Amino acid sequence: MGMIFLGLRNLLRNKSRLALIVVLIGAPFFLLLAMQSIGEAVDQQTTEMNRSVNTVLQLRARGSMGHVNMSNQDRLLPDSVVEKVRAIDHVIQVEPYLLAMSPTTLPNFAMHVGLAPAAVKRLESHGESGNPRIIAGREFTPEDAGQDVAIIGQGYAEWAGIKPEDIGKATFTADPTRTHPVIYGINRPKRTLRIIGMYASGYVFGDLQMFIPIDTFRSIYGIEHGFSWVFVQADSVDNVAAIAQRLQETVGDVADILAPKSAAVFTATTSRTVIQLAGAGGVAALVLMIVVVFFVLLMQVRERAREIGTLKAIGASNGGVTIQFLTEAIAFTVLGGLLGVVVFQLLGEAITARLFSLGIGSFLPSQYKPLFDSLSVSSHVSGSVLVLVVAVAVFAAVIGSSYGVWQAIKLSPLEAMKDE
Amino acid sequence: MNSALIELRGVSKSYRKGGETIDAIADIDLEVQETGMVAVVGPSGSGKSTLLHMLGAMDRPTRGEINVAGQVVNRLSQGELTRFRRQTVGFVFQTFNLIPNLTALENVALPMEFNGVSKAARLKRAKSLLERFQLGPRLKHRPRELSGGEMQRVAIARAVANEPRLVLADEPTGNLDSRSGQIIYEVLREISRERTVIVVTHAEDLARLADRVIHIRDGRLLDAPPMPGLPLDRNELHFVQQRAI
Repeated sequence: MGMIFLGLRNLLRNKSRLALIVVLIGAPFFLLLAMQSIGEAVDQQTTEMNRSVNTVLQLRARGSMGHVNMSNQDRLLPDSVVEKVRAIDHVIQVEPYLLAMSPTTLPNFAMHVGLAPAAVKRLESHGESGNPRIIAGREFTPEDAGQDVAIIGQGYAEWAGIKPEDIGKATFTADPTRTHPVIYGINRPKRTLRIIGMYASGYVFGDLQMFIPIDTFRSIYGIEHGFSWVFVQADSVDNVAAIAQRLQETVGDVADILAPKSAAVFTATTSRTVIQLAGAGGVAALVLMIVVVFFVLLMQVRERAREIGTLKAIGASNGGVTIQFLTEAIAFTVLGGLLGVVVFQLLGEAITARLFSLGIGSFLPSQYKPLFDSLSVSSHVSGSVLVLVVAVAVFAAVIGSSYGVWQAIKLSPLEAMKDE
Repeated sequence: MNSALIELRGVSKSYRKGGETIDAIADIDLEVQETGMVAVVGPSGSGKSTLLHMLGAMDRPTRGEINVAGQVVNRLSQGELTRFRRQTVGFVFQTFNLIPNLTALENVALPMEFNGVSKAARLKRAKSLLERFQLGPRLKHRPRELSGGEMQRVAIARAVANEPRLVLADEPTGNLDSRSGQIIYEVLREISRERTVIVVTHAEDLARLADRVIHIRDGRLLDAPPMPGLPLDRNELHFVQQRAI
């Protein structure tokens, strides 16, 4: 039979009480699972955002757009900036650009971008978030450095009468002398560039660009020194703020630093806050569980004092009494945990989303709420979560029952005589 | 050579109540021989239950020494006390104190399990004991399905399950009608042939059946210790003579 078996048999003494206790313990378990699932969803969302979020900072000469032929906006970053930036911790890539504006049909213009052949092609209009992809021809190769070649956006190509099927054979003549109300001419000869590739970005102005190897660009526009923009890639979103701070200290006197602040702030504060709130909810659920076990066990010991005394009088050891009550406590919490898991699987998604909007959403700054409307909370309970449930059940049972068990151990066999 | 199962030497038990010291048991010397039934009688509050509790190692004396079956019980450690209760002494309570969610058979088998008896052996002995006490048809019944007399017989079977040398019964017929009480007397009388049974009782009938009657009043024994070599049934006579004086 064993004290374990006796403990399990005790569960069935009062079935309605058992049901009530299991519900009381199951509710915090449900809360724990909900909080765990919210934390997991936010964590996943944050990871996803961190993956796509900008970890690139942009430097421009102070107060200048850095376009080599734009009126009053043609101041460039000095060459020394690049070396200084490369020396900063957590900087994994430094990519300098040169930009020139080129009039199209007035008052419009396109952008000529000089960059290293291997550098990421960023769209001027959308900064770091643009994603140009080659739709005809090819990408730059290292051999293209210094060559008269270019990759053109499909909008700019259409204006220039270049069709995708002409890529590889088509040419484009860059004329630095052309002007526009905000563009001044540079007295340099025209240069014919062979178009080796065409890209599309999905943005109208994004497609009005042409990428040129940076040495070729310098040669066309006669720019021997300096850079329009320098893109600085951080190794992680967590280090963006620190790099921005370091950039400010190092090159702040000559450069404006454009850090992807909103993303960094969001990641650093909101996600962390939500995860912390979810964690706090989980801890509250655990405490609630321990409190329920505490009172249930205390009630059981008080109610069964005479029985405990009798067991001791007929030879039960304190260890045996401990095992009996611990078994009962663990059985209560495991049953509560299983109930919590079942209810969570059935109603988890709907209730958790509601719980999130009421319990956590209200703590979030209003601008972040829409981001979490799309939070995908899963009610799936994995094997590892089941193991966690059992571990939490045992932990809550041991902690919650310890005072009750201690009271039971302290009881004298004389309790058996008390009502006599 | 001393053949007494129980020896009490200068045993006292005092309680503090409201700043006042109450002597429940005052300087008792007592010897009880192996086998036979001893009735402890006295008015309420006389100290008879306290005496029983100390004999069963449920309570410790304030002074003196209690020796039961060669063990000085007031010096036993917690573990030794547990073993003592398992092996040397069996208890019968006024309110039966059966475990409500166990069957009669399981209740009787429980002390044997504490004592490390194998499952097969303990169930066999529990069944045999219950059949001996005319409870064969009630093996699988739970306490709530038994009458008071039946419950007390189950409790007596449980008390002797580990074959203790001493059984202590505190008012075992206190909650029973006279017919059931009579059956319990007979059962206790029967088990006292193999061991010592000490019964605390108010019931004159039960006291009359005992081999020896110990009277207690205000924490003091009124009878003299048994004379060496005197048969147990003579002790009763000795007590009656004392009372007559």
